[in-house]
Amino acid sequence: MIELTINGKKIGAEKGSTILQAALANGIKIPHLCYDKRVKPHGGCRLCIVEIEGQKKLEASCATLAAEGMKVWTDSPKVKRVRQTVLELILIHHPLDCPVCDKAGECDLQDLVFQYGKPKGRFVREKKNAQPYTKGPLLELNSNRCILCGKCVRLCAEHQCRGALGFIGRGFPTVVQPAFGEALQCDYCGQCGDVCPTGAIVNKSSKFKTRPWFLDEKDTVCPFCGCGCTLTLGTMDGKIVRSKGKEDRGVSKGDLCGRGRFGFDFIYSENRLKSPMIKKSGALRPASWDEAIQYIKERLNKLSTVYGPSSIGGIGSPRCTNEDNYVFQKFMRKVLGSNNIDSQAAFGYGAAETALKKAFGRNGHRTDLNSPLGKEAILVIESDLTVSHPVFGLNLLRAKREGSLLIVADSCETKLTRHSSRFLRIKQGTGVALLNGLMKVILDRKLFDIENAAAVNGYQEFGRSLNEYTLDRVCRITGITEKELVATAEAFAKAGKRMVTFSVGASENTKGPDTVLASGNLINLLGDSPDAIQIPAENANTFGLYQLGVRPDGGPFYTEADRGKGVSEMLYEPGSVKALYIMGADPAATFPDSVRVVQALKSLDLLIVQDIALTETAKLANVVLPASGWAEKYGTFTNTEGLAQEVCKVSEPPLQSLPDWLILEKIASAMGMKIGNNDRREIAREIGSLNGQYNSQRVNSRSFHSVHYAAGEECDEGYPLTMVLRDVLPHAGSISTRSKTLNLAVSEAILQINGRDARRLGIRDNGHVKVSSRRGSVYLKASVSENLGEGVVYVPAHFPHNAVTSLTFNSGRGGNSTDAVRIEPA
Amino acid sequence: MEKARTHLMLCTGTGCVACGTPKVAAALQEELKKKGLEREIEIILTGCNGYCAEGPVMAVYPDQVFYQKLTVEEVPTLVEEHFLKGRPYQKLMFREHEKKTAIPLLKDIPFFKYQVLLVLRNKGLINPEKIDDYIARDGYQALAKSLTAMTPEEIVKVVADSGLRGRGGAGFPTGKKWELGLKIKSDVKYVVCNGDEGDPGAFMDRSVMEADPHAVIEGMIICGIATQSHKGYIYVRAEYPLAVKRLQIAIDQCYESGLLGNNIFGTGFDFDLEIYQGAGAFVCGEATALMRSIEGKRGMPRPKLWRSAVKGLWDRPTVLNNVETFANIPQIILNGAEWYRSFGTEKSAGTKVFALTGAIHNVGLVEVPMDTTLRRIIYDIGGGIKKKGRKFKAVQLGGPSGGCIPEELLDIPVTYEDVKDSGAIVGSGGMVVMDDSNCMVNIAKYFLEFTADESCGKCVPCRIGTKVMHDMLADICEGRGKEGDIETLEELSEDIIEASLCGLGQSAPNPVLSTIRYFRHEYELHIKHKWCPTGVCRDLCTFHIDEALCKGCGACLRACPSKAITGEKKKPHAIMQDKCLHCRSCWDTCKFNSIRILPAGVKNIEEGEIEILAGVAAESWPGTAKAEVAK
Repeated sequence: MIELTINGKKIGAEKGSTILQAALANGIKIPHLCYDKRVKPHGGCRLCIVEIEGQKKLEASCATLAAEGMKVWTDSPKVKRVRQTVLELILIHHPLDCPVCDKAGECDLQDLVFQYGKPKGRFVREKKNAQPYTKGPLLELNSNRCILCGKCVRLCAEHQCRGALGFIGRGFPTVVQPAFGEALQCDYCGQCGDVCPTGAIVNKSSKFKTRPWFLDEKDTVCPFCGCGCTLTLGTMDGKIVRSKGKEDRGVSKGDLCGRGRFGFDFIYSENRLKSPMIKKSGALRPASWDEAIQYIKERLNKLSTVYGPSSIGGIGSPRCTNEDNYVFQKFMRKVLGSNNIDSQAAFGYGAAETALKKAFGRNGHRTDLNSPLGKEAILVIESDLTVSHPVFGLNLLRAKREGSLLIVADSCETKLTRHSSRFLRIKQGTGVALLNGLMKVILDRKLFDIENAAAVNGYQEFGRSLNEYTLDRVCRITGITEKELVATAEAFAKAGKRMVTFSVGASENTKGPDTVLASGNLINLLGDSPDAIQIPAENANTFGLYQLGVRPDGGPFYTEADRGKGVSEMLYEPGSVKALYIMGADPAATFPDSVRVVQALKSLDLLIVQDIALTETAKLANVVLPASGWAEKYGTFTNTEGLAQEVCKVSEPPLQSLPDWLILEKIASAMGMKIGNNDRREIAREIGSLNGQYNSQRVNSRSFHSVHYAAGEECDEGYPLTMVLRDVLPHAGSISTRSKTLNLAVSEAILQINGRDARRLGIRDNGHVKVSSRRGSVYLKASVSENLGEGVVYVPAHFPHNAVTSLTFNSGRGGNSTDAVRIEPA
Repeated sequence: MEKARTHLMLCTGTGCVACGTPKVAAALQEELKKKGLEREIEIILTGCNGYCAEGPVMAVYPDQVFYQKLTVEEVPTLVEEHFLKGRPYQKLMFREHEKKTAIPLLKDIPFFKYQVLLVLRNKGLINPEKIDDYIARDGYQALAKSLTAMTPEEIVKVVADSGLRGRGGAGFPTGKKWELGLKIKSDVKYVVCNGDEGDPGAFMDRSVMEADPHAVIEGMIICGIATQSHKGYIYVRAEYPLAVKRLQIAIDQCYESGLLGNNIFGTGFDFDLEIYQGAGAFVCGEATALMRSIEGKRGMPRPKLWRSAVKGLWDRPTVLNNVETFANIPQIILNGAEWYRSFGTEKSAGTKVFALTGAIHNVGLVEVPMDTTLRRIIYDIGGGIKKKGRKFKAVQLGGPSGGCIPEELLDIPVTYEDVKDSGAIVGSGGMVVMDDSNCMVNIAKYFLEFTADESCGKCVPCRIGTKVMHDMLADICEGRGKEGDIETLEELSEDIIEASLCGLGQSAPNPVLSTIRYFRHEYELHIKHKWCPTGVCRDLCTFHIDEALCKGCGACLRACPSKAITGEKKKPHAIMQDKCLHCRSCWDTCKFNSIRILPAGVKNIEEGEIEILAGVAAESWPGTAKAEVAK
């Protein structure tokens, strides 16, 4: 710590901090327009100038280090005069179109001019009057209002590592635009708009919709991925108009990705359910709540009596709140008496949790969003976490910038590989072989603490299981060189603090429980804490859902429960259940091998779907119940850090819809089983009391589990290519595809194929192709890309209308596996 | 190897090459062959001789005879006369203006007589593309001394004691910079040479790089030894192809000779050097912008959160010096600090190279001790104002960052301090002499146009401030100036200097401030009387013929591009105001000072007289000044 004096007041400051940082930390305001703590100081706006005693010139406080004993004046007459001149200069050519500017009212420039008074008006020049740059789906760049503080440019390049915007031109005519006049097609995070101090970056979806002073702002949790970022929602007349990240709020500390910022309008999609519906003579017809509940009660009671309670199954939702899911599992277990309860997590996080429990003997594995920071070496396996968990991904990029060794093993080039320290270009789906190879090198070269590792269960057997992973074989499987493998193993094993991270989920198919177990072995071998494995939960409440017992093999808070049927049985073995109660899930569109899923759903005696929209699954249901969506009800989401955060009601739900938990309580009481008092807080209290008991139950026992590399679905002449599923920005799961705004950016699944494959198959860039697997075929648009290698194609599974899931299959071991496909021009 | 009896040092600086050196060289070679002299007389293609005004130039050694304005046609006579018959050829010799007698010897020519050559010691004497030439003139001895007989601390001390200051413009003590560079610990450090000379009218660094590239390289390697750095970059603008070519040849030769690369002189010291070509942005001459440019990024200055000596190129400690600074180093190491201090003054030691140009006789590259006065440089070395009848008005020093120094300050020495006090800066050494046909408001406008165009756009005061200043000056020059503009310009300048991020903005208002300081009257004439007395600002002048002085020679009539002048031979002419374009051709042509430049809108001389009497001081009327000279 050092001490300096600002405006006569002595303050302490961290060594190495700038005057501006020291002042802000001590509550002293210095005006600034180009400073953002996430990026390097720019020193461009010159408003943060201060007078330092003993120095001839004024200095920019954002770019001057605070020094011991320094005496600083932030508002001396000279500083004030120069600051006024700078503001005057900025305003000379500024259009002053505040009456039609979305930013007016919360514009930093406006505020500063107000604070420093009307400029002297010494210079009268023509106002800038360029056409706004509208090329790009979500944002409009208005160079007239731009003051060239460069926050957007720097945030995009340094923080997001995207670099979509640049300064074009030099001097006065400089504008901020994408290079070469291209459309602004980027990661669509919209962070540039958030940091813009003026109205130069306009969000097209909220342009001219409101004035900031008419907005009610409320913080809530994002409904998309497991990061659980805090969104500040601005609403007008009970409708969300915009979503922003505000500095230092929530786990994301103000960072947001495009889904959180633009995707909120999925709750306003046209296919929202407005009333309950019952299928009569083959078609769903509106019904009243009483009719619907009566119908459900009768049918469930009948099935239960005839086939027994275990003939009924339930599927919960990582999109629903903790309260919803807790009541759901309670409804299934207590009211219906069935343990057949599962969710989409079975294909990703759930399977990973099971594997982690095997490796470390403990439940509720959390992923700390800040875990990458301060790690010496980070190994990422076949994931672009900057897409699947963008805000977690930002920390990976930041860790790299701050000196971590970021090793990314992937089969294609991604933003993460481009910003890695070391890119291991492995073949798709060979993560397990790579991990085994790394461990083999570590074992052979004794780069680990033998005593420590030998004390872990199964060490001997594990060591033997690696024998077949000779350098030669691993390199043949993965496609990397021996040198790369050995160097990576050495670098990783010798690093002080380490972590392995990757994503899992229903929308991916190159990693599974085996990858988790192999990573567990690596961590056990090196003797790190289990927290060295970070596998973020995929959806907003995946962690909460699993924790609260929406799974076939355990109750709330990891308590033991009789094993029921999971999704693999309920949806892939027709006849295993007679009735399904599906809450907030769309297996017909999002689960692997959807053809089989649809068959299974069609063969049911009773299908109850409770959702916010008429999904593919809902279309098959006997009865459909309209639920209130995210932002239309109160509740909590537990993010991947295990942090339960409140979701607020900010928007009015469609007329007849009800919160999920309330629907379930109503049905329960109709069936004569009271499971609640129609009070959300009571449920929350009940969950809270259970949580206390669980905390004392954590156990910790490590063991090795030998796993072997298994190739995905085998290719042959008929199906020569391998299809990899991978998320694309700005989408997450399938609900984001109901957002009109996000669909403006990307609205269909685009197949990526290598140039040589494309030429060989006669496929044009932007042309259409027919993709067929052993299970079905779909038509997609193709994009020829050099980011990926030959023999593989990349497809996102977000879009129900593209039915990509009809090509995939359920490996039955928790997760998908790569699929063999054939591509033909269409 | 045969020894030639005579060497012909033919200048191949950019100026002379443009004037035809290659053709002359070929003709000479052929002629010598024809006469059978090719074994006796050797042609050496040297770097810039410095006397660029009268190229192509050639010095004959050992005779020391100096020839200028060589042409292919004159070559046979020259060879015949001088080399065959032994009679130096007077026709191509230097003559002082308005004097008939030729000055045959280089050392007697005033242009050379007053110069002291340290940096340019090899100019015109060696072939810059031959490392042996450089070595023959004690080249790389300083490197050997530094590597074998000195510690890094000793080198730094000699440089510090010599009082050498950065020749790029700012004048930061070089020794201090090196000391910081040596002190800071890092596995990788860089030495960077700034060869991005961008000031209009400046060509010192280019000439040094072209004429003596090895001196720069030797200086950089010594800097590497002194700061324990092993990698250097020379940043040269791509507009200097000859400099790039010669530096590359020199670097290649160094690698071949083991003067660069690993284990130099077997001492275990490694140093690598490469050229990085700049794309021609003026701001890349700013140290931090230059480093960003080498990093492959947009060349914009960064705030000086850290000194470059701590975090420079790729965030590693970096010592960056200008071409001329590095070229000084070998001599300082060889001859010692005391020797160097014997030139110049206490605070501004040594010599400085200036690119002398503008309205003088002897345009060229000059090197003088820093205690030399401006008058000596302009009048003795430069030979004074070139155009007959014109008077000295101002000398512009330091390019767009500098200022204009008027006649009354011509006796100040060119030290950093004195020049700075005058409102200009030594800068990299551009020196543009202006006579009284120049409008100082227009000069200020020119420089602001340059800086506004070259501003990178990063910081507000520079980006918008320079544009606003330029717009105001344009307004003044075009008749839209208003009361208070001068004060506004002064206030704005002060704030721009105070608030700008880098040296470009901090010095951009200097040309305006210094012209206001010394030529405020001219600004006032422009604003209050809509009168540009030099006739440069077309909207602020009218041209009239004084019938009393007009001899009716018809010169103006022929010069006028718009046929606005009428009149019979030997009778006073007249200008038709509605046809006049205000191009000033008549004024430039008239030998009898009969053209008078009067304020805008004036219909005839009488009306003009009244207006001028109404408040404009007569001495600022160029017609008057011209008349005095004529008398």
